[in-house]
Amino acid sequence: MRNIDLIAEESAIRHFGGRRGRLTVSELLIMVVLIILALAVVLPLLLPWFFVFKTRLEFSYNPWSLPKQISWTNFREAWIAIQIGQGLLNTLKVCVGAVLCTVPSAAMAGYIFAKYRSRWTEVAFYVVLMGYFVPVHMVLIPLYQLNTKFGLVDSMAGVFLPMTAFGIPFWTIIYRSFFRSLPDDLAEAAKIDGAGHFDVFLRVMFPLAKPATVLAVLLVFIGAWSDYLLSLIMINNQRLFTMQLRIAQFMNAYGVDHMPRYAAAAVIAAAPTLILYIVGHRWILRGTLAGALKG
Amino acid sequence: MKSSVDAAPMTLAATHDGRRKKRLDYRRLLFQIVFLLPAVGFLVVFMFYPIEETFRTSMMQTSALSPPTFIGFENYQRLFASAEFRKGLANVLAWAFWSVVIQIPLAFFIAFSLVAYSNRLTSKLRVIYYMASIMPSAIVAMLGRFIFAPRFGVISTIAQRFGWAWLQNVDFLGDPNKVFWSLFAIATWAYIGFGIVYLMANIEQIPMEIREAAELDGANRLQYALYVVLPMVSYPIRILAIISTVGSLKLFDVPYLMTGGGPVYYSTTLAIILYKQGFVNWRYGRAAAVGVIIFLLSLAFSIAQFSMQRKGGELD
Repeated sequence: MRNIDLIAEESAIRHFGGRRGRLTVSELLIMVVLIILALAVVLPLLLPWFFVFKTRLEFSYNPWSLPKQISWTNFREAWIAIQIGQGLLNTLKVCVGAVLCTVPSAAMAGYIFAKYRSRWTEVAFYVVLMGYFVPVHMVLIPLYQLNTKFGLVDSMAGVFLPMTAFGIPFWTIIYRSFFRSLPDDLAEAAKIDGAGHFDVFLRVMFPLAKPATVLAVLLVFIGAWSDYLLSLIMINNQRLFTMQLRIAQFMNAYGVDHMPRYAAAAVIAAAPTLILYIVGHRWILRGTLAGALKG
Repeated sequence: MKSSVDAAPMTLAATHDGRRKKRLDYRRLLFQIVFLLPAVGFLVVFMFYPIEETFRTSMMQTSALSPPTFIGFENYQRLFASAEFRKGLANVLAWAFWSVVIQIPLAFFIAFSLVAYSNRLTSKLRVIYYMASIMPSAIVAMLGRFIFAPRFGVISTIAQRFGWAWLQNVDFLGDPNKVFWSLFAIATWAYIGFGIVYLMANIEQIPMEIREAAELDGANRLQYALYVVLPMVSYPIRILAIISTVGSLKLFDVPYLMTGGGPVYYSTTLAIILYKQGFVNWRYGRAAAVGVIIFLLSLAFSIAQFSMQRKGGELD
């Protein structure tokens, strides 16, 4: 009796690895639902292609037919209107600025909080931790006044410096927990060899924290890439518009009445992010997971 | 300093040692200060000082013509008296509620299914589900208008194609009763990817043996999902709930870009009101008061998150 049970159990375990070849109805149903939901995610990015090659007239008669001819006029017009090249360049400046300011500051602070623990560094850590709870939305008015005072309105620094301040708390927490997981032996060995505090950090500890640094660089970059609110407030000069501001400007100026051109603009607007994701999706997913599990 | 230490008589070796130790500590302290300086500097200049200024400004009457004058809580009273602010507050709270009730169960369903039925296809699906989440909100809003635009939008043209008159002339973004749900649908599309990826990571960490034990006890997949997996990821689900609640309070980009808070103020949010008061009407005092309200509400939710983390023992 027991033996029979065991055999049944074994087959249950084997089944659980995935019944190849013979899908049950419920499995099939769930796979279909999953695929439909995945299509729902992709479709808004694919559908514009139905429209982009059509003239306005052709679109209003036959929006969903295949285009009669491939015309690049919509793309050309949208390209000129949306100025994606210049916007991309400005966005990249914000991204690089945010990464260069956030990552070293957070790494240094996290290192102190992890390896130089004392009563006063603990107090300092809680002060930094408090910053984690502050939404940037709260302080937009004083930030704008501050940037006016510093002459930072209409400059990329006016966007990425506040962004840095609001990114530092989270990354300090991540770096702190990462440095705490590193053993002290290596640092001690380097100290015996006569290395100072700074050398130990720069030559030994910071290189060891590379996984945290990769994560921070990636996610700070993506955060800066997606920003809309801060650039909306800090930047008025069109030549300094970031990609997101250009997209918003296009939406407001041209609207959806000329749908083929709007669709072409949507394709152009989404392209840089899509390329970024296709190239880096492994890193982005892994980074998000690591960040999510830690944070 | 150095020469004076060197000059200390050998007979006072003890004091000499003490002084040396003190000097080393001093260097250590200097190192700590230098290393904390950038982070603390950024925080003080761009966060703590602005916070203080926000609280101060929220008590002020500001106008372009006269210097700010202290008016106590009048800005707050005016806000709560205005129908627009109450609608904005109601919108973000409803948004928070529905994102917990709709988005999290959906994310759990997808995450569980992707893990439980893992095969070659599902690993690709995970990449696809996260794709929308990486899109900047400007693009999300752009695609949202593309779908919901009256007459020329995707839904409208599909309805025309099939002759569905009831759907053809629905104004998804202009009808006060529909605009909330249109925006919510787009936001669900955009933001559910994070929930899926986050829950998947947690479900994948459940040891195989537990699943095998459940199978041995004769549990089917639905029972396994509801009675085994769900309780085991209740902590990440709570965290996710807090993240989406706090995110709702800060909601700005997608509604602002798709409707500007309209029609009238039916899709407005706290952050949109703050932006309009501050940077369109130039009423800094009123805008700062909205900022304080956003801060206090998100602080309350964040403290809830923090205490949960403490309880979960996952901090550090």
